[in-house]
Amino acid sequence: MEKEKLFLNEGANSTAAVPIWNPCSFGMEMQSNKLNCCSDQLPNCFFNPNWDSSMDQSDPFASALSSIVSSPVTTSNAIPSSGGVGDPVMIRELIGRLGNICNSGEISYINNNSSTNTSCYSTPLNSPPKLNISIMDSQIIGNLPILGNGIPDHQSLAPFLADPGFAERAARYSCFGSRNLASNESELSHRLMPRLEPDKLQRVSSNPSEKATGRQANVNVDGNSNSDKKFSRLSRSSTPENAEFGDSRDESSVSEKIPGGKLSMKGLNDSNSRKRKAIPKGKAKETPSSSLSASDSKVVAEMDESKAKRSKSKEINGDEKDSTKANEEENSNQKQNKDNSKPPEPLKDYIHVRARRGQATDSHSLAERVRREKISERMKFLQDLVPGCSKVTGKAVMLDEIINYVQSLQRQVEFLSMKLATVNPRMDISMEALLSKDIFQSRGSLSQNLYPLENSAALSFPYGYRSQQGIALPNGMFSNGETQFSTNPLNAVLKRNQCMQLPALDGFGDAPRQVSTFWEDDLQSVVQMGFGQNQLQQPQAFHADSNMPGAQMKVEL
Amino acid sequence: MNPDHHSSLNPSSSLKSRFTKTFLRSLIKINKQRPFPYCPREIFQRCHRVKTAADKSLARAAGSRRVWSRAMLCKIRNRSLRRGCQQRPSVRRIIIGYQTTKKGYCLQKKMSDDQEVGTDQASKLRKLVPGGEAMDLCSLLDEAAHYIKCLNTQVQVMRRIADIHSS
Repeated sequence: MEKEKLFLNEGANSTAAVPIWNPCSFGMEMQSNKLNCCSDQLPNCFFNPNWDSSMDQSDPFASALSSIVSSPVTTSNAIPSSGGVGDPVMIRELIGRLGNICNSGEISYINNNSSTNTSCYSTPLNSPPKLNISIMDSQIIGNLPILGNGIPDHQSLAPFLADPGFAERAARYSCFGSRNLASNESELSHRLMPRLEPDKLQRVSSNPSEKATGRQANVNVDGNSNSDKKFSRLSRSSTPENAEFGDSRDESSVSEKIPGGKLSMKGLNDSNSRKRKAIPKGKAKETPSSSLSASDSKVVAEMDESKAKRSKSKEINGDEKDSTKANEEENSNQKQNKDNSKPPEPLKDYIHVRARRGQATDSHSLAERVRREKISERMKFLQDLVPGCSKVTGKAVMLDEIINYVQSLQRQVEFLSMKLATVNPRMDISMEALLSKDIFQSRGSLSQNLYPLENSAALSFPYGYRSQQGIALPNGMFSNGETQFSTNPLNAVLKRNQCMQLPALDGFGDAPRQVSTFWEDDLQSVVQMGFGQNQLQQPQAFHADSNMPGAQMKVEL
Repeated sequence: MNPDHHSSLNPSSSLKSRFTKTFLRSLIKINKQRPFPYCPREIFQRCHRVKTAADKSLARAAGSRRVWSRAMLCKIRNRSLRRGCQQRPSVRRIIIGYQTTKKGYCLQKKMSDDQEVGTDQASKLRKLVPGGEAMDLCSLLDEAAHYIKCLNTQVQVMRRIADIHSS
């Protein structure tokens, strides 16, 4: 009622007012109205992973889409007052066009319902809903390319939506739109699109996969929550994106297929696990102030709806009133809402956290939960950085691994700095350039895991020093605490190279013994163990090395 | 220095290039300034200088946006100031500067008391990561991740340099 009027007014205002962006925005607004009318589905945002990539390809399509959108918008402009009447027409047109492009492979499936579908829609208009139906079927995700096949009623837009990515986006958008619709429930949808609604509902009910039409709202709600998850990777709103979004929403609104219980279950779980970080729920009304906050609030509102069984429907409706622009921004910010979204959530000026179902709601526990989630997120990232930690679970073990890894890396740096210090410098400016190039070219060669690479470092070290001048390195020098650990093998290796240094030989035997004892004492880190093993292996290597001048230098380890 | 556009494409490569250039320059400087060491003490000193140069160039390459890079640079500066104080006691400004920095560090130490000391591992990590004393666990893990990444780069580059030198 009020909401419908607000929608209509909004549509009228939007059409009358100068578009903020381009005609695409108009189309989006109109479509949002239509979407709100339609209770729908959610071609779920299964396509989220491809969303970002697909968005890149969307630009050429966005312009086409905008042109498509603008045409119905112009018609709607002519009849702003009767937005409720004009919208269905526009919706049908858009849907028809979109549907033609994204004809799904579910033609057979669609044809089953064609009888009911054709009741109120023209053929082209029927295709998009069926398309979305297929899209929304989670099992059909893989058949995205099929979307492009479909019923080619309208050839004009066939190439436009042939892009499977577009179909994905459309599906995603539609599911978003359906979310909005769910909030408004069927009454609004019936109001705005009287002719469409009953048919849609009919179609939906006729759809074997769908349950009662009355459940559409629930499904929509769930779909919303799912779509929230799917939209987690939405990029920031941009005009072409918005344009597409609006169209896809429109499309999805017509499709109306709601993967029933499946989504509902998912939605509930998602809602439970969802935590609105940095999404000011209370800012639902503040749309114009900051796009981000508005969109966030909208997302929050929508999600809450799904979670709280449309407890926030009013709020959402209020959000809807703000503008479709906010909706788009909302979509773009939906990804921020997701805790488990891959891209890090941009930090807002303040963080709003929503209490999960069945959890304590006092501020302390909420803040604690935020903190814990942040920490676990960082731990996951560290897990990727530290090699060999993929199977490690638990904070304590993970921290141990991290500490060991950092220690080993620092030891390696010490070891290598000692090595560089003893290297006879042959560097000049030209060498520097050559070295820089070499280092860059060999970027990948050294990408092996560095953790056990201390072994290789020690291995390469003796061979590298074969040609080095002899340096008298009495054993005692390296007994200093700081460098003892990392330079004992170095010491041993250097001594091996210096066959001329007879005095060194006396201490030579001590070095490996020291190394071995030293290693035996410290059994904590894997690196140490590996290093010790390496030391044990080195004597054999040296024995076999005929180039070694110090063949008489035998190290007993 | 690596052109800026590289950083957007591949931040690690720009970090690597920055570190490499700075480190190579400092290595050349070290080798030019001092004669090639033949006694262990000189070698040890040289090794320490090389390590300091490596850490310094890494911290500079990492940028001042990171807590650990800033802390590392401060540590190196304090160390050099301290040594400068011992060698040239007449420079009072340096001493005063060092004392104030030390006080700042003490303040940081006190702040660390407020941090959760629940696990030894967290405190160990704090000691390992430069500047980790004054950070909460969340940002400590963040800094540790970046520090690990930079350490990897450092080890790679140094190993490559050593291999080139030795071959």
